[in-house]
Amino acid sequence: MIEVKNLTKSFKQKNGEVFNAVDDVSFIAHKGEIVVLLGVNGAGKTTTMRMLSTVLKPNSGTAIIEGNDVLLQPQKVRANLGFLSGDTGLYARLTGREIITYFGRLYDVDDVTIKNRIKNLSELLDMNDFLDKKIDMLSTGMKQKVSIARSIIHDPPVMIFDEPTSGLDILTAKNIIDFIHKCKDDGKCVLFSTHIMREAERIADKIVMIHKGSILAEGSWKELQEQTGKRDLDDIFIHFVDQQKESEGAADEF
Amino acid sequence: MNFKKILTIYKKEMLDILRDKRTVLSAIVVPIILYPLLIIGMSSLMSRQEQKIENQSATIYIDNQVKDNNSAKITEALASAKNIQIMNEVDDPFALLDENLVKAVLTISDSISDTGYQIIKVKISYNASDEKATSLFSQINKVIQEVKDDIVGERLKEINIASDILNAVEVLEDNVAPPEQMFGFFIGKILPYLLIMMIISSGAVVASDLVAGEKERGTLETILVSAAYRNELVFGKYLTIITISFITIFLNLFSMYISIQHMLSQSGLELENVDLPIGNFALILVAMLPLVTLIAAILLSISTFSRNIKEAQSYQMPLMLVGMMAAMISMFPAFELNVGMALIPIVNIALLFKDIMMNNFNLNLFLIVVGSTLFLDLIAIYFSVNLFNNESILFRTSDEKSLKFWGKGSKNVFSEQFMTLYFIAILVIFYYIGSRWQMENITMGLIKSQLIIIALPVLLILRFSKSDIKKSLRLQNTNVKNYFVPILASIPVVIVAAIISQVINLIYPFPESYLENLQKIINMSDFPLWKNILIIAVLPAICEELMFRGFIIRGFEKRGFWNAIIITAFLFAVLHLDPFRFIPVGLLGIWMGYLLLKTGSIFVPMLAHALNNTLAVLLSRDYIPFIGKIAEDGELPYWSIIPALIIIYVIYLWVEKINLKIERGE
Repeated sequence: MIEVKNLTKSFKQKNGEVFNAVDDVSFIAHKGEIVVLLGVNGAGKTTTMRMLSTVLKPNSGTAIIEGNDVLLQPQKVRANLGFLSGDTGLYARLTGREIITYFGRLYDVDDVTIKNRIKNLSELLDMNDFLDKKIDMLSTGMKQKVSIARSIIHDPPVMIFDEPTSGLDILTAKNIIDFIHKCKDDGKCVLFSTHIMREAERIADKIVMIHKGSILAEGSWKELQEQTGKRDLDDIFIHFVDQQKESEGAADEF
Repeated sequence: MNFKKILTIYKKEMLDILRDKRTVLSAIVVPIILYPLLIIGMSSLMSRQEQKIENQSATIYIDNQVKDNNSAKITEALASAKNIQIMNEVDDPFALLDENLVKAVLTISDSISDTGYQIIKVKISYNASDEKATSLFSQINKVIQEVKDDIVGERLKEINIASDILNAVEVLEDNVAPPEQMFGFFIGKILPYLLIMMIISSGAVVASDLVAGEKERGTLETILVSAAYRNELVFGKYLTIITISFITIFLNLFSMYISIQHMLSQSGLELENVDLPIGNFALILVAMLPLVTLIAAILLSISTFSRNIKEAQSYQMPLMLVGMMAAMISMFPAFELNVGMALIPIVNIALLFKDIMMNNFNLNLFLIVVGSTLFLDLIAIYFSVNLFNNESILFRTSDEKSLKFWGKGSKNVFSEQFMTLYFIAILVIFYYIGSRWQMENITMGLIKSQLIIIALPVLLILRFSKSDIKKSLRLQNTNVKNYFVPILASIPVVIVAAIISQVINLIYPFPESYLENLQKIINMSDFPLWKNILIIAVLPAICEELMFRGFIIRGFEKRGFWNAIIITAFLFAVLHLDPFRFIPVGLLGIWMGYLLLKTGSIFVPMLAHALNNTLAVLLSRDYIPFIGKIAEDGELPYWSIIPALIIIYVIYLWVEKINLKIERGE
């Protein structure tokens, strides 16, 4: 389970101004649930996820992952977390098996378990043909499969996907979407970020819309439809953005 | 920290690195193959070349203006000498010499000594930059020496004196250096330089790949979100760099050992029976270890800081240059390992090498070298781990800083970027033009550089940027009490600076000539005192304070009170271009920066600067008897720093109090 509590992160820009990348964001993602963080580029999705994965420290607020605080027990948080993003690379000179084994060991999984899991994952993701080839020789789709296996080798209860499908063709993207459904079926808590509305429509149990660092709206697709009276997620999103603009304009008038 | 995890990271990095052809080539193949080829090839080429030079015959021309019996002896002796051909009458022998058709022109003339004997003079004209001509010159010299002995013998015979009367003193050369030591002397000079360069270059290739490379390929984030601790990652990578560097130097030493032995057996030097001291090679390997670790830690920090491999490589360049210069020290005969030198990284190892190779091993110095290097090593590792915990450094995006840094800010004259460029420009001008002026005429040079290089640009820049000169430079009054601060503190400050100089002198003794020079500049004994004080104290106080506390500090004030003061003081010390006075000058800079920012007026640090320099002038002229009294042999007793510091502290409290009241508006 992920509990995000008033998470805030600001960066100092070169011109000295402070820029709020994430501003007082809170939401909850339960076990066996797929929560989609939906927003345009630069909305604060990656920053939020980096704070959850403990590589960035929030300025205020915190998040609890599987009972561990990202600020107080970053080590335990990371051990309970699988992380996959669209632009994560792999070691070109190593083979898929070597990379997955390496990460398994970094997560303190014993060698026998690693071996068994690689066998299972290889079947599941259909990797038998290229698991022992160097990454250099693989296609994008094959690399993506290795990355997936790498992110889940320690069988974490929580999975975080940061725009994992960006730049992938439909077939490769489908691998990932299938994998995410599998994670849900296994009872994992899944947090998924994307700027593609259709993806959110397809897989989300709950959608958290984020814009300019703040949360616009939160709920299942159905709930959001009822709330706005609009059908498509695109229209719903634009509706909330307009609403935010209006309230900002109102605030400015004061 | 879990050692097993470090080992996992280490193993993976080693596997990754060893699959990289570039690394394997530079770290392993090159030393094993290229090295022996280079050494053996060069030595055989050199000995062949030497032989060639010796066997080549050379043409000379002799202009014999005496044409008597004795001069004929010289001509004959040369004619029969091996590999020398004498050219017949030509019109212009010196033209032939210029064209290198003859290697030497001998002009024989004579005169009569006071006691009536003939003196034959042989002028040998040759081109000393030509190796062949140089060896010919010594050959001709030898031949003529023999003829001379001959003629002297005849003359002695005429007056019935045996020629052994000349052998009153005989010099016998007895070189007691054992052959290993002679050999070590040669090797000890070049080897350290080569090895230090190799450690840096082999480590650099690996290090840039290890963190900056991971950033570039997008793999860094995946290990950062893994369950490994940051310090486990740092140590795993750190051990990888050390291993590769160590493999490189081990292979290099090994292949060098074999190559040198091979070279010796062919060289014809009288060293055939020399056993290469393998123990020394082993000792060097041990002494290398701390340096390898230090350099690995520095390289790892650089790599962590850089955004990509290219950037890492450009940051490695300065390290390479510094390493090269420091390693070169071992080649200069004047430098020897002592306690002071043993504290300077890289230089100490280079000098230690030289000692080890010459069998001058001193355990204490060895331990100081190893200890001080390891100490720096710890600092560097600590620094790396900190960088690894710094999110803004790990997630610096690619094109953010490097371009914009010089673009936007530099239009504003009070930005750090502009100040940095401005300072570098002034430093360059000061070095190339200012020091030239001072060489021509020290007094005028000082005045000119202060006014034109130091003060004038500040005023021009402020003028052209349409800034408020008075306000920018803080040319404004302050509480009258503040002016008493530098006056009261002047003598304690001078004492502290003097004691620090003494301590530095103790560790790194100032050269005699340096002290004399400094004394000459400060104490212009042909001037009246007032003029001396004007040039040495008042003028620099005004000009340098305008530049540093007036202008430069403005660029760094955004960084906070003490950072601005310290950066400015550092630059102030750099401009003095004097490594021996760097620390005392820097401390004075801090004191003056503090006075500026506390009182808000530049006149206070100007007064402090002027007083400090005035005291230096007075001291050099022995005008301050009571300091002279406590100082023995021109040195202050060390205890005097304690009352000086106490007085400064009391003054500091007073300054804080006065200016707190001002800030409150009381």
